[in-house]
Amino acid sequence: MNAVLCMMLLSGVVYAGLHGDLETVSQAALAGGTDALQLVLSLMGGFMFFGGVIRVLEASGVISALVKTLRRPLRWLFSGELEQEALEAVTENLAANMLGVSNAATPMGIRAAKAMSRKGGNAPSAALCLFLVINATSVQLLPTSVLALRYAAGSADPERVIFPSLIASAASTFLGIVLCKLMEKRRGKG
Amino acid sequence: MIAGLLAITILVGVWKKADIFEAFTEGAKEGLHNAIQILPALAVTLTAIRVFESSGIMEALDPLLSPLASLLRLPQGVMPLVLLRPLSGSASLSLLSEILTRYGPDSRTGLVASAMMGSGETILYTCAVYLSAAGISKSRYIVPVALAGWLTGCAVTGLLFPE
Repeated sequence: MNAVLCMMLLSGVVYAGLHGDLETVSQAALAGGTDALQLVLSLMGGFMFFGGVIRVLEASGVISALVKTLRRPLRWLFSGELEQEALEAVTENLAANMLGVSNAATPMGIRAAKAMSRKGGNAPSAALCLFLVINATSVQLLPTSVLALRYAAGSADPERVIFPSLIASAASTFLGIVLCKLMEKRRGKG
Repeated sequence: MIAGLLAITILVGVWKKADIFEAFTEGAKEGLHNAIQILPALAVTLTAIRVFESSGIMEALDPLLSPLASLLRLPQGVMPLVLLRPLSGSASLSLLSEILTRYGPDSRTGLVASAMMGSGETILYTCAVYLSAAGISKSRYIVPVALAGWLTGCAVTGLLFPE
C-alpha cells in the first residue's frame, strides 16, 4: 500500500506539473484532511449504531448459535483435516466475520492460523490456504460501512445494495473455495 | 431492513435477558473508537486520491482501464475501486465516498461500487496478518485465487445492476 500511495501522490504532482496545473493539485492536497474529517463524521453514526446492534446480538448469544450452525458444514468443507482446536477457532473467526465483528475475528483467526501450521514448514497447509481464501473473499452478511456511507450520501434507497452485495460475496467465496480445491488436486497428481 | 434488524435484535435481547443498554453502549463505544482510529488513514488516502484525480491523470489512464472494464462489463467509474479494494480498506472507503459524491449513490456506478465494496475484503492485509502470525513466509496460491474470487464478485455486481 505504501508503494501505491507514493505512486499516486508523485504521479499526480508530476502529471499536473507537466500540464501546468499545480494550483488545483495543491488545493486538492490540502482538502484531503478536511474531507477525511467530514467522512469520519458521516460514518460515525453508522459505526456506533451497528457496533451497538452487534454487541447486543453477541450478548444474546447469537454468535455462539452461529458457531453451532457452522461447525458441521465447516468440518465437511475442510474435509476433516483440522484438529479440534483449529476447527473451533476457524468457526468462531468466520462467525464473527459474518456479523462484521472484526475486533473479535482477528484474534480467533490468528489462533486458527497458528493451530493449523503447527506441523512446521514454511508453506501454508491446504487447510490454511482455504481458510485464508475464505477470509479474503469476504463473508460479511451486512456491509455496515457501505450502508453508513450510502445513508450519508443521501441515497433514496441505501439498502438496495445489501442483497446484490451478498450474492457477489457468495460468488467470490464459492469460486475461491473451488479454486483452492482444484489447486490441491492438481498438486496431489503432480 | 435496518429497522427490522433493530427490532429483531432488541426482541432477541429481551428474550435472552441480555443487558441491552450496557451492550449497546459498549458497542457504540467501539464503533466510535473505530471511526476515530481510521481518521489518519482516511486523511492520507483521501489526499492521495484527490491529488491523483485532480491532476487529470485518471483520464490519461482510461485507455488502460477501459479494456478491463468492458471485459468485466462494469461502468468505467468503478475501475479504481476494483484495483484499490484488495489493497486497503480505508483507501477504498475514501474512494467509495468519492464515487458516491461524484456519480450519486443511486446511479449505476454508485450502486455497483457500493455492492462491490461490500462483497470484498482487503486481501493482501488479511493474508499478511494471518501468515506472519503463524510464522509462515510463503503464500502459495492464496493471493491469485482470492483475487480471482474478487474479480468474479465484481463482474457479478455488474450483472446484478444491468445498464
